[in-house]
Amino acid sequence: MKVKMISRNPDNYVRETKLQQHKMPRNYDPSLHPLEGPREYVRALNATKLDRVFAKPFVCNLSGHRDGVSCFGKHPKQLSTLATGAYDGEVRIWDLANRISSRNFVAHDGFVRGIAYTQNGARIFTVGDDKTIKVWKAEAPEVGEDEVPVNTILSKFGLHGISHNRKDNKFATCGEVCAIWDESHNDPLKTLKWGVDTLHTISYNPVETSILACCASDRSIILYDQREAQPLRKVVLTMKSNKLAWNPMEAFNFTVANEDCNLYTFDTRKLQTPLKVHFDHVSAVTDVDYSPTGKEFVSASYDKTIRLYNAHHSHSRDIYHTKRMQHVVCVAWSLDNRYVFSGSDEMNVRMWKANASEKLGVIRPRERVNFNYQEALKQKYAAHPQIKRIARHRQVPRHVLNAQKKMRAVKDKEQVKEANVRKHTKKSKRVPYVSEKKKHVLKEEV
Amino acid sequence: MSDDEEHYEPKAHKKLLQAIGSLGKVQHIQKSTRDERQSRQDEFQLMKGVSSAETHRAPKAVGLNDLVDILRTSTKHSQTGKKLKNIQGSKKVLEKPLEKPAADRIKRTIGYEGVTKKLGRWDAVVAQQRSAETQVFPLPSETVYVNTSANTRSLNTRIKSNLAKELEANNLKLRELRKAQIGDTTDEKELAKQERLLLQKKLTRDELFARRKELAYLKMRESQKSAKARMQNKIKSKKFHKLQKRQKMLEQMKEFELLQKTNPEAALEKLNALEKSRVQERASLRHKNTGTWAKNLQIRAKYDKDVRKDLAEQLAVSRELTQKKHQSDSEDETTNKRVVPEEEENDYDPFNPWTKRKATEQTENGKGESEDANWRQYWTKRNKNEKLLEEHRRDVKEIQDNDDEEEKEAMQKPLTEVRAAKKNPKISKVKIENGWQVEDISPTDQKKVKGNTNSKAIDDIFDKHEDQIRAKLTKKMEKLKERVNKLKEAPVKGKKTKKKDVLQNLKSLALKKSKQQVEIDEPLNYEEDKDSQNIIPAPLEGNSETPVVDTIDPNKVTTLLFTQKKNSSGGLNDALIDDEAAEYDEEDAAAERQLTISQAFEDDDIVADFNRDKSKDSELKNTELQLALPGWGSWAGAGISKEVMERRNKRLLLKLAAPEKRRDENKDNLYLNESASKQAREHMVSSIPFPFRSLADYEASIRAPVGRNFVPETAFRMLTRPAVITRKGQVIEPMAESELVKPDRRLRHIVDRRIKRIPKVPPKAKIA
Repeated sequence: MKVKMISRNPDNYVRETKLQQHKMPRNYDPSLHPLEGPREYVRALNATKLDRVFAKPFVCNLSGHRDGVSCFGKHPKQLSTLATGAYDGEVRIWDLANRISSRNFVAHDGFVRGIAYTQNGARIFTVGDDKTIKVWKAEAPEVGEDEVPVNTILSKFGLHGISHNRKDNKFATCGEVCAIWDESHNDPLKTLKWGVDTLHTISYNPVETSILACCASDRSIILYDQREAQPLRKVVLTMKSNKLAWNPMEAFNFTVANEDCNLYTFDTRKLQTPLKVHFDHVSAVTDVDYSPTGKEFVSASYDKTIRLYNAHHSHSRDIYHTKRMQHVVCVAWSLDNRYVFSGSDEMNVRMWKANASEKLGVIRPRERVNFNYQEALKQKYAAHPQIKRIARHRQVPRHVLNAQKKMRAVKDKEQVKEANVRKHTKKSKRVPYVSEKKKHVLKEEV
Repeated sequence: MSDDEEHYEPKAHKKLLQAIGSLGKVQHIQKSTRDERQSRQDEFQLMKGVSSAETHRAPKAVGLNDLVDILRTSTKHSQTGKKLKNIQGSKKVLEKPLEKPAADRIKRTIGYEGVTKKLGRWDAVVAQQRSAETQVFPLPSETVYVNTSANTRSLNTRIKSNLAKELEANNLKLRELRKAQIGDTTDEKELAKQERLLLQKKLTRDELFARRKELAYLKMRESQKSAKARMQNKIKSKKFHKLQKRQKMLEQMKEFELLQKTNPEAALEKLNALEKSRVQERASLRHKNTGTWAKNLQIRAKYDKDVRKDLAEQLAVSRELTQKKHQSDSEDETTNKRVVPEEEENDYDPFNPWTKRKATEQTENGKGESEDANWRQYWTKRNKNEKLLEEHRRDVKEIQDNDDEEEKEAMQKPLTEVRAAKKNPKISKVKIENGWQVEDISPTDQKKVKGNTNSKAIDDIFDKHEDQIRAKLTKKMEKLKERVNKLKEAPVKGKKTKKKDVLQNLKSLALKKSKQQVEIDEPLNYEEDKDSQNIIPAPLEGNSETPVVDTIDPNKVTTLLFTQKKNSSGGLNDALIDDEAAEYDEEDAAAERQLTISQAFEDDDIVADFNRDKSKDSELKNTELQLALPGWGSWAGAGISKEVMERRNKRLLLKLAAPEKRRDENKDNLYLNESASKQAREHMVSSIPFPFRSLADYEASIRAPVGRNFVPETAFRMLTRPAVITRKGQVIEPMAESELVKPDRRLRHIVDRRIKRIPKVPPKAKIA
């Protein structure tokens, strides 16, 4: 009879203690390390490869909505809470730590257009297609109690979005007009209008809290000040902007998600040209949200992907997609800079890691040091062709790839044509060269 | 009828009349009257302006003129009337308010300007955040220090507890009781007093004072001395210590000289001792820049010129000390040799044929100075030169006479005086002594041109030339001035038209990152995701980018690496051991770069050099190696026939394979590196990545290791510090207004503190 036994050498699984570790006295004299460059290069290469091996950004899927997810509301204080609104008027509050929906109620008839928490996170404001603003308590009602709004405000105008001031108890809605409200009043303090039929998104500046911006259906972005009686300025782009997000660390910068597959970062003080045009999406960009560090932002697109951008780069640093994810409607970056949420047409809310290969859970100091070292190496050798190739290699859905090829072909064609035209016209009649940045801004209205 | 007339109602009648009167007018709808407070005005309730027809018919409004006219009639109010008239003339009527759109536009502009100004406040903070090497989130909030000491319970300061006190009191009582029992009546306190008094009586008052004074003086002297010694020890001035040392040395020398005269034996002993000390110095590593002082300095040497100088000095000292003293006669030779070339450099005589000789000749001739042949040669050459010069002078004169006589006249007049002054010292240079022509070689005139008879002529030539140059210069200067004036005017115009850059402030505030890092802003390399499609995957599409062509010669890069290695091996130490190398710096590097051009053309035959490089590779293959060793095979001794030897040698001759044909053999201008490995090429960077401007910068950044194995632990931690540090489970709030007025953060982390302490290195210095 053969007896099978599991026998393992404890050396293989027991971690060596501090005392057992062999400490080697080191001589840092570079002449003794003639191969330091190649060694580090190999380490960098391995780190990059491992980074791609461990790049599993998808964390979980939060299912429960019975219609497409339309909007997100981030809790300003709690990291584990997220409110989502759906096309059927339902609002769900998620307990992200346990990955469950802790509470749900039908807030509106028709779409929920916007959700906003108050500055202290005690109440939730929702706006919907039924021209009402409803105020809800942030805590779930007691057992047996019904879900009733604390307050319901009937608005004269249609409502498309809501944004809450970060510092005082004012909030702003957009729709036919931009209205500034006080939490304690049922009438708007102020309505601001500038000859536009629909404003579909509104956003308060988180730093200079009196400033807010709207995107209008006439392809324009309008800036407001809640203390002024008039809007401030309007800039018209070639296509409609879908969403707008302010940089939380750079008070004057904001980014808009545009219908023409690009995102544009503007400086409020210089609206004639965007600071940066962010390419790479292959379909309309539907939503954008900044990371709380202000260094990156995430964008959702109709092309069924979400992309992560460095705020100062024009190309994305990463692309997330799954087989089942349909048109992504809304996106949010968690306030601890670790996760990204996406809500899409097919009723799911997804949670992603902001850094695809980051290790979740406890990280021991030595591990942390090693990660830092790897990161430093990757950064150092980032320009080396092999490392760049591995680090930037992504698998994308076929439709994205095809669309990308098509877009590139179109762009190339246009460029060739322009060059040819320029070549074959007289010097006096030659069309001036327009930079990519300037192409997309039509005019700045005062 | 009369009844009717009696019922005449004035109000109704007026209304009727009005109605009849306004029959022809356009407006039928009455002015609306507001009865309710409204925030929004309905557009239908707005009234039309008063039509022009109405104003025509309506009685003319009372003007100021009418009033004045009335006032004029009465003498009492004539003054007031005048005043009113004046006012009307001087003061303007308020303008009609702007159209609403225009007014709104102005309001918007003002509002926007206010907002831009407000947002501009953040420039500095944002610029600082962007340039920070490490950012910690959530941003450390302002700390409020509250003095909580007021609320804390006061400290229990009693040294003895209540119990102890009671016990003590009891003890005292007990002692007194005992004393009483014994019958002892002496009071202890009084005894102590008496004792003290006795002690004081022993010394008189004056004595006490004197003593105290003396003590104080001694103490003061002591402290002074100790302070002086401490100060001297602390003095960091090299100069001071050098001087001190020199003083000591001089004293010793004097002693030694004295000894030599008085006691030669002792002097010899001392000399021996000196030699011994030198040997010790040589054996030890003192002054070798290996001490802690030198090592510390070496760190700074990279950035500080003075420090480098110190180190070089130190090395020079060591060299001086360790060099064995030469014998006296040989020493003279060396000094002579050294001095000679310097002299030659200084007094360059164009007529002296010897100065043109090469250095080798100089030394040779230096030995045989007394030879007659050389002298003759010297004079013949000299005469020839003079003739040539005269010819040249004549030519020049002719040309000048023809060309610009008028100019000369005009220019020379003011300059004659100057020239005269110049000529004076040059005239009397040659004396005649005993039939010999003796040239006066005064050190001050070393650089000036010398000649015996024709020095004057040469001066003339030069002066003329100078005049010409001056004339040209003045012309050019005038032109330049004109141009400058034009340019000055131009920017003023430009300024008016040019718009102010709003973001200028942010840009100017932007600090340069001390640690440059590669930024890659390119589209990702896409490949089809096979998971998402259930169809059989299509053949792999490679990178969407076309492979980049290598432009940097990989071999060159590697050689660069090695040269750097040489420099950096042994850290800075090796580089600094040689004081020439110590002087080496980025600035010198720049100078060197300039030099390289001249150096490159030092040897004329560049093409030959190039070809030599080409053939160098194949040199080894061309050679034949003789493997036969002397004596090998001739065991029997000498006398073996030559033929046999040759045959054997032929057998042992190793012929290497014929050199392969180089690919660039027939191309003179081309050098193909055939030893470069293709595998390595894949890993080489083809162009300098974005934020870097120069290859040197980038290479330096790549060359600096970051790993634990190559740099000390703290440096490793510093180098691998992540750019963004966040804490798990903490909400990162947007930037608060308090950031604007925040003082510098107190750094807690030791690494942070260390980083802050490092002096900011100018980016230029980083290259080395």
